[in-house]
Amino acid sequence: MLDGIFTGLSTAVMPFNLLMVVVGCFAGTFIGMLPGLGPISAVALMIPITYGLDPSSGIILMAGVYYGAVFGGSTSSILINAPGCASTVVTAFDGYPLAQKNQAGKALALAAYSSFTGGTVGALALLFAAPALAKVSLSFQSTDYFALMILGLTAVAAFSGKGQVIKALIMTIFGLMIATVGTDTTSGATRFTFGSIDLIDGISFLLLAMATFALTEVVMTVLRGEHREEEEQVDMSKLGSMKLSKEEIKEVAPTIARSSVFGFLVGVLPGAGATIASFLAYGLERNLASAKEKLKFGKGSLRGLAAPESANNAASTGSFVPLLTLGIPGSGTTAIMLGALIAYGIQPGPRLFLDHPDVFWSVIISMYFGNLVLLILNLPLIPYISKLLVIPRPILIPMILFFSITGVYLVSFNTFDIQMMVVITVIAIFLKLLEFPMAPMLLGYILGGLMETNLSRALVISDGSLAFLWERPLTLSIISIAIIVLVVPPVLDLFRNRKGVRGPEVVVNEGEG
Amino acid sequence: MIITKDHIGGLVFLCLSLLYGYYAGDIQMLPGDEFEPFTARTVPHTLAILGGLLSMALLLTADRTESKRLSLSNYDFALVAKLLVLIVVFGLALEWTGFMLATMLFLVGGFWLLGERSIKTLLMVSVPFAVGIWFVLAKLLDIYLAPGQLYMNLFGG
Repeated sequence: MLDGIFTGLSTAVMPFNLLMVVVGCFAGTFIGMLPGLGPISAVALMIPITYGLDPSSGIILMAGVYYGAVFGGSTSSILINAPGCASTVVTAFDGYPLAQKNQAGKALALAAYSSFTGGTVGALALLFAAPALAKVSLSFQSTDYFALMILGLTAVAAFSGKGQVIKALIMTIFGLMIATVGTDTTSGATRFTFGSIDLIDGISFLLLAMATFALTEVVMTVLRGEHREEEEQVDMSKLGSMKLSKEEIKEVAPTIARSSVFGFLVGVLPGAGATIASFLAYGLERNLASAKEKLKFGKGSLRGLAAPESANNAASTGSFVPLLTLGIPGSGTTAIMLGALIAYGIQPGPRLFLDHPDVFWSVIISMYFGNLVLLILNLPLIPYISKLLVIPRPILIPMILFFSITGVYLVSFNTFDIQMMVVITVIAIFLKLLEFPMAPMLLGYILGGLMETNLSRALVISDGSLAFLWERPLTLSIISIAIIVLVVPPVLDLFRNRKGVRGPEVVVNEGEG
Repeated sequence: MIITKDHIGGLVFLCLSLLYGYYAGDIQMLPGDEFEPFTARTVPHTLAILGGLLSMALLLTADRTESKRLSLSNYDFALVAKLLVLIVVFGLALEWTGFMLATMLFLVGGFWLLGERSIKTLLMVSVPFAVGIWFVLAKLLDIYLAPGQLYMNLFGG
């Protein structure tokens, strides 16, 4: 393991990779600040750039962007009460009231310290948890992988929010359907190409991710007329001091520690991600607070700000555990990274730890660097970075559209891909208006090919019998967990509705974060 | 009866699953595949069935409240349609006018559609941006960008 850590460290400290961390954090912070564009869109926009880099540098850049986008989302939550992404919605609950009391500087600093601690705890836990889980999963067979993919897909669907389970499952099936377009890798037969040569290779991951998460998100802001809204000017003179007093540090320290560990554990669960972690951590902290302290929540409580910020960063790191060790993404953003790794010819999973230790360890180590960059460079520069938000939307939106389109075009040099992106965007807009979540579709698409390969292997080995699902204890356990994950939330909802108990309405996004 | 977003979504996916299942039957099989436990049609058929079942489940459990009705007011569909047409035109222009000119036209069109009317701003932003991006791609990163049919026809090459 030490060998691997040193290999990763030497890769991560290469000047070019350090530059990637810094560039990623800055680019992510800027994109994350733009309301409507979250970590998924930010990471999707980076895919074409990573195609020209080696795998380690590419994934390091994406991880930096991921962190930066979460941090950027917190900044716009605090300064203008417009969360850039779902995982920072809770940050606005107490962050914005603090900004209104002319304590924006303190709120930003606390958010940065909490994020840093959450990210650090997450990175340290990842350092130990990932190799341990990778060693266990080395004994996995194709049946177990098939079961794991079922678990990954059902978990994302189950965490998709109240009343959304069926819709999320339908989107997962839709993603799996899209994955079948093109040439079947096992038999060589062409499927659903309708005679078009352009569809023989299937619909590319890059095209699908860019169309559904970059292009659609930007077009949705135009559809809702948000491009006409005047940018709220942030008065930097009212930022206030960025220093925290000793008493304040004493007050929030236990909160940050608790929420970091809690966030990491939630992040490790496939499908949960940073959004759910931040909501749960806020709820937990509120429940633990004294009656007097409880009243402060929502009005500028430091604990209310520290809890979700630590949790969402720790969960962002935690979601890398299932990605790096099992090849199952923990969130929509890590699903995009999974797609990028597969495009590099690297199969994430237990073999990654052995076959590509440089990628495995350098990603983990560079995450820590990413946290440092955010704390040391981004925090003091926030007043200047947020000035970029002053660029008028009518200028900014066509530029983002341009980057989304040319990002795809410059990889294939086929203008058919541009027309295809428009078709997919129209479909995605229609589905978004009907409130169908997008992340399960992308997950279904990414895992579709792998799932089919593993299912075919398992069925051939068992001579067409489905008994492999219950004959191997490990497969049976994973399938059982998948069933529990899928069935328990709707059943609990049903019981709550019957008893007339209404929990807090939490509109959880589509496994983003 | 109130038709909600869930009803529309359920119906659309039910039709999609039926069509998908129908076309799955057209997938070419290899000789002897009928005796194999797994063929190129196995997964598509399973997905069509699962998609159909889930769509029906959505239709049956659909939320029938008034708030779930699909409302298309307050959305600027005309502007979005114009932007999407602009993207398609950009794709076509890439082949005819080449990368730099297509980029300029796309940006000017995009800024204009979104409400920017100052000619000075339109040109001051789009021209340096397009030239800058072209320079980075073609000169710094050495990516070949075809000059476009129009240029080829006029100047040969």
